[in-house]
Amino acid sequence: MQVTETLNTGLKREIKVKVPAGDMEARLVKRLTDAKDKVRINGFRPGKVPMQHLRKMYGKSFMAEVVNEVLSNSARDILSERGEKAAMQPEIKMTEDEKEAEKILSGNADFEFDLAYEVIPAIEIKDFSDIKVTRPVYDVPDTEVDEQVQRVAESARSYEPKEGKAADGDRVTIDYLGKLNGEAFDGGAGQDQPLVLGSKEFIPGFEDQLVGLKAGEEKVITVTFPENYSAPHLAGREATFDVTVKAVEKPGKLEINDETAKSLGLESLDRLKEIVRSQIESQFGSITRQKVKRQLLDQLDKSYQFEAPSNLVEAEFSNIWQTVNRDLELAGRTFEDEETTEEEARAEYQRLAERRVRLGLVLAEIGEKAGVQVSDDEVQRALFETVRRYPPAQQQQVFEMYRSNPNALATLRAPIFEEKVVDDLLGKISVTDKKVSKDELTADDEDEEAPAKPAKKAAAKKADKAEKPEDDAEPKKKAPAKKKAAKDGE
Amino acid sequence: MTDLRHYDVIVSPAITEKSTMASEQNQVVFNVARKATKPEIKAAVEALFGVKVTGVNTLVRKGKVKRFRGTVGRLSDVKKAIVTLADGDTIDVATGL
Repeated sequence: MQVTETLNTGLKREIKVKVPAGDMEARLVKRLTDAKDKVRINGFRPGKVPMQHLRKMYGKSFMAEVVNEVLSNSARDILSERGEKAAMQPEIKMTEDEKEAEKILSGNADFEFDLAYEVIPAIEIKDFSDIKVTRPVYDVPDTEVDEQVQRVAESARSYEPKEGKAADGDRVTIDYLGKLNGEAFDGGAGQDQPLVLGSKEFIPGFEDQLVGLKAGEEKVITVTFPENYSAPHLAGREATFDVTVKAVEKPGKLEINDETAKSLGLESLDRLKEIVRSQIESQFGSITRQKVKRQLLDQLDKSYQFEAPSNLVEAEFSNIWQTVNRDLELAGRTFEDEETTEEEARAEYQRLAERRVRLGLVLAEIGEKAGVQVSDDEVQRALFETVRRYPPAQQQQVFEMYRSNPNALATLRAPIFEEKVVDDLLGKISVTDKKVSKDELTADDEDEEAPAKPAKKAAAKKADKAEKPEDDAEPKKKAPAKKKAAKDGE
Repeated sequence: MTDLRHYDVIVSPAITEKSTMASEQNQVVFNVARKATKPEIKAAVEALFGVKVTGVNTLVRKGKVKRFRGTVGRLSDVKKAIVTLADGDTIDVATGL
């Protein structure tokens, strides 16, 4: 096998491989001898078939197999020989001329093909110790817990039937039928609907007009839907509702004590508080983690500047671009509405794509060096979690889809891998805790980033922000999966 | 243009272990039409393959009785011809016609 490099610029490589006809012939003969004792051909006992006849029957198909084998093996061999990693499956170009191909198959011509691929740049893992991250931590004060407990208790509050007129805070049970210009509209009717007056569950004005009604009374009320109502055909319109009050109930006394906790199925008030606290903490904890991760990624991004393989970037970009376009379409907006042009947005996302790919490669490398492993158990758990998000009818189907498709499973594995790498990194870098207020914690990252990208337009940023949550999750999600695919494929 | 009749005489080459052994004696084995006679076979082989034939031996292999779902059936008889070629002449059975 003769290997010659025809192109070596930047990350792109092109290699010409030539396998002499003699080599091919030798491989073919080996295959034929292997098959000799196994095949059954009419007129011959197994193993008694003359070589010539065997070649006539199977020569072509065996040669095709040999060609395939050469193609798949050579890519791997050449890459490992050169000590390079391909970003994606190497592209193979071979003769398209049928006569030429025929000749190769019959073993009369040298087999030649070109390999084109991009290498993953060698990433040198730098010392992590100079990466500094501040972790914003929010201590949940007792008052907030109490507030939350109050809210929980309210939702579990009991109501007692009441004679007389409904007042603010009472719960009424109503049947209602909404009409636009005298015609009933979709979704405007309800039966035996419990409604707490003053809870602002319904559109403004609706509940106010029910105050003072008694059980059994009927009333026609007129309300105007707010301008920003979710259903466009109703927004801003005036509608009448025929309301029948079936029952009026007044709220029971609201006391927060062990009794309330028990009615919620918990043993004591302390336990309730504990649960509420841990819930709030985990909520803020995930925000904290996201912020820390973002800082970490930003710093990694800064310290690892290298040219990312363009076809990976391209793939990532088209992914983002599709999502963005679809989102815009769904929202019925254009780039002009976002105060940007298509070109600008393109450039913006191109940058984003490159950052994702680069971070993905870096994290994959770090993870590999650190020996981060994702166990099958973890993938299994993630799989169940994903499946649970679908409606029960589809669950089985989704499960099967993941089961039978290794690529789909890889997309599950990737985020876990990424999380573990980040965990691993957090243990190695210096993390300083900083107490912050709630507002500071929930403040948008955008403010911090604004000085870094002053040229960016507000709208572009907005779109960018929409991508943010993914930004943290996506880059490594994609790259390791791809890398893996590339490895498998070789 | 060879006579089309010749194609009706010779049905196919018989490629078996036994025919491979025969080829070492410069003999070729064909499946031929049931009604074909030795002179016809000789003429056909000489015309179609451009060789000189020194002798033709024929045999009829009787069809076996086969039962399928209880019904008795009978495979058709096959006539074979073992054709001896003159020294120096060969027929590459593999290439076909």
